[in-house]
Amino acid sequence: MVKMSLDPVQVMSGQVKELKVAPSSNGDSRGSWEEKEEFDQDHLGLTSKPIPVTGRRARKVEGGIFFPKPENAVTIAVSSRVLFRTEREQKVFEQKGVEEYLRYQIEHENEPFAPGPAFPFVKALEAVNSRLRELYPQSEELFDIVLVTYNHAHVGIRLINTINHHNLFIERFCMTGGSSPIGYLKAWHTNLYLSADADKVREALAEGIAAATMFMPEKLTEVSQSQLRVAFDGDAVLFSDESERIFKAHGLDKFFEHEKENEDTLLDHGPLKGFLEALGKLQKKFYAKGHRLDCPIRTFLVTARSAASSGIRALKTLRAWGLEIDEALFLAGAPKGPMLEKIRPHIYFDDQMFHVEGAAEMGTIAAHVPYGIAQKHNAKQNTGVRK
Amino acid sequence: SKDSDHAVVVAVASRAVFEPGAGGGDGVYAEGVAFPLLQALQKVNERLLEENSAESLLFDIVLITTDSQQQQQSSQLISSTKHYGLEVSRFCFSTEEDFSESLLKNNVQLFLSTDRNEVSQTSQKGVLSALLDEYTASCPSEQLRVLLCGDAVIRPDTNPTPASRQAAQSFSARLGKMRQRFGMSDSPLSITLMTSCGGRDSCGGALQTLRSLGISADEAYCLAGAPQGPILSVLRPHFLLSDGFSGLED
Repeated sequence: MVKMSLDPVQVMSGQVKELKVAPSSNGDSRGSWEEKEEFDQDHLGLTSKPIPVTGRRARKVEGGIFFPKPENAVTIAVSSRVLFRTEREQKVFEQKGVEEYLRYQIEHENEPFAPGPAFPFVKALEAVNSRLRELYPQSEELFDIVLVTYNHAHVGIRLINTINHHNLFIERFCMTGGSSPIGYLKAWHTNLYLSADADKVREALAEGIAAATMFMPEKLTEVSQSQLRVAFDGDAVLFSDESERIFKAHGLDKFFEHEKENEDTLLDHGPLKGFLEALGKLQKKFYAKGHRLDCPIRTFLVTARSAASSGIRALKTLRAWGLEIDEALFLAGAPKGPMLEKIRPHIYFDDQMFHVEGAAEMGTIAAHVPYGIAQKHNAKQNTGVRK
Repeated sequence: SKDSDHAVVVAVASRAVFEPGAGGGDGVYAEGVAFPLLQALQKVNERLLEENSAESLLFDIVLITTDSQQQQQSSQLISSTKHYGLEVSRFCFSTEEDFSESLLKNNVQLFLSTDRNEVSQTSQKGVLSALLDEYTASCPSEQLRVLLCGDAVIRPDTNPTPASRQAAQSFSARLGKMRQRFGMSDSPLSITLMTSCGGRDSCGGALQTLRSLGISADEAYCLAGAPQGPILSVLRPHFLLSDGFSGLED
């Protein structure tokens, strides 16, 4: 296993600043591991009626754009089920139907949801935004987080109360009341869509929108609150699944042969290439102001390819695309869990559920990209097991 | 069976329902942009009566025209209506001067037209009015989709007066009551809230206002300054109502 960095300025690994020691989540849906103070159920600090506002809300922070145009921003659409923990409510929906579900939600309107798997990621996006606004107060090149949910507007007040409670900066949302959110994703120029629903994620991918399904890990390792760390698998995530197809059809030897022969041929792009590109653009803005060493965005490639052989093609492709990745980790087939546990990304994208689950077991928040040949292979395996 | 006390009278300009002058063959007018809208209104009535055959909270559809040519061909108007199976309870022929009075006299709770000036005038006379445009034609006919605008003005030429705000609220409250007759899914009527400028708290405030009026929105969109066009083209509402839904205290 070789750790390589494309960046000529070698950045020390493990340079994760300000790790906050947070109480561990024991699966209790009331546990708010992100918050420092306990919240008293009686005095949640919530008024039952939101304060009436006239026009724009006064901002405590000075300077900077707060409502960027969607096409200028890096738009991240998150569903309510991944931003928050809604397992209890999901059960009500599944067992008692939609009417009871909505009644339950309204009854519990003043109880904020606990943070979900996308929560740390969203917090990290906000941290990056603060830094961007300091350096470029007039720029709209920021992360724009939009809540895109299948939910009915009946749940709206509870969601708004929850966002207020956690002091999240989310001012834009779509509650589609059961209609498909895909059209809205396009209308918002969505750069990345995170959802708990694999079907919707697949639909989004089919429309060319980077998307992934998120799951709540059993345990959560602490992640940085000041640096956004995003990790990607290579094949079928950043790159197309062409090489994976060869591997699945003809085995490892054939795969190596093919990669060697085609070393100088670029791999085709995968569904998350665009998102890496968007991150790279923002990184360059920090570099331009002398913040290369303490850039609040860091990207990782975590691939089963091996550095000495098949990894070369991946690196050449990235270089040809003009994309920088801060750390490239070539595992040569070794399990990804332990490495991810060291990296502590806010999110890790992989096309294979096997790796997503492995990562989650070790406390890494992993997201499944249901793209490419691995999906069919998984399906075939499943039917085999059933027989 | 439309009890005048409970019926929600909706007047639609006949020019919006039928293409002016265009022939649909057999002396019948061609369909206009408001056609799917009328069908959707009818669908709501059908479903309301399915739920309760004695229902009195129904849409009462009136076709109104100032177009002198269409008035001369009033029989063609009536036969076209029959031809397409449209359930119009009344035809109203008026002059331009008496137009708003006609609407008020007929207890019209909502007036719909493709004519911007017409809508502006009737609005100022205190009749809740909404502008239809070419997008209306592409809206579904199986579900009536109404958009309530929660803040700032989507149509800057309409000046909200306390009377028009009241009209918007009372019409929407009746719509809300109709909506309650159906379940969460498969409703022939869908109510959407949209706030354009403010952040989440202005949308939250608008949701509270709607709730106080007895309206449960199905969908909610908070744009916070994002352009409306792309969202509206996915939403496809038949018409928009502004004023009266913000969280502002009047």
